[in-house]
Amino acid sequence: MTSGHELDAMGWVSVVSAAMAAVILIVHLVRRREVTTTTRVWLLMGLGVLPIVTAGTANIAGFEATQSRKFCGSCHVMIPHAEDSGDPKSLSLAAVHARNEYFGQNNCYTCHKDYGMYGYVLTKMGGMRHVYLYLTEYRNMPLSESKPSIRILKPLPNANCMHCHTTTAPDWLEVPDHASSLESVRSGKLSCASVGCHGFAHPMTKLGKELELDGGARP
Amino acid sequence: MKLRIPTTESLLRVACILALVALPLMVWSLFDGTVWPVLIALSVGQGLGTLSFFLFLVAIARDLHLKRKLVAASKETERERQSSRPPAESAQ
Repeated sequence: MTSGHELDAMGWVSVVSAAMAAVILIVHLVRRREVTTTTRVWLLMGLGVLPIVTAGTANIAGFEATQSRKFCGSCHVMIPHAEDSGDPKSLSLAAVHARNEYFGQNNCYTCHKDYGMYGYVLTKMGGMRHVYLYLTEYRNMPLSESKPSIRILKPLPNANCMHCHTTTAPDWLEVPDHASSLESVRSGKLSCASVGCHGFAHPMTKLGKELELDGGARP
Repeated sequence: MKLRIPTTESLLRVACILALVALPLMVWSLFDGTVWPVLIALSVGQGLGTLSFFLFLVAIARDLHLKRKLVAASKETERERQSSRPPAESAQ
């Protein structure tokens, strides 16, 4: 995976093939040669084969980049969420999970993705909706306004939590609150990230009223 | 009005220029994995790259079509020339 300015093998393949294609195209444009069979073969490389390699590898890298916290936090209204979850001192649910190696730099995607069969496609479609809403509604909204007003479309399904936290393990069932609310948790009636349970994943965006219900702000 | 396809040279030059614009757009997202570089790479970059390859294919198809027409025309000329020769001449 490509993160920041570090290129992995696929990134290098993409850059090198793009550079080779660019050299072929520039030479063709500068030399103004007659179009012969040899020219056509070179242009097939410069306009077809090499750009297809570039597009393929850059697409994979691009889709992988869409899973990173850096990508999610690149819209200003998501900066508080991204900064908090990357804060090593934060005790919010999002930050605690981000410190787990399994979530790491992709913690937004790992929690918010759709785990169904077409999960990846559905998640990306949802992401396009976010881009549309950002362009049409939230682009010029100050953080003071966006923090208390932007909310998740529908509550995070418990199934996403249960993807890692099984509700059948003896250790989990030994917790009295888990045992008493087992059916509600499994059916999704009671959210794991709700007031009285594990609290909000992103408490820094909540209104005072919401925090009071949750027992006060967390550090 | 009949739409005229530009010459092969012009098509290929335009294809080269489009590809030279598309390639950096596609690679940009590798260095900056934020929302706009990635979205532009996956949309504008891909679109321009596809268009440039399409123009290349149009130029090649046009050349092949012209070549086929020229071959057919030369065969026709040859046939006419043979049929217009006097029989005695052709017997010798």
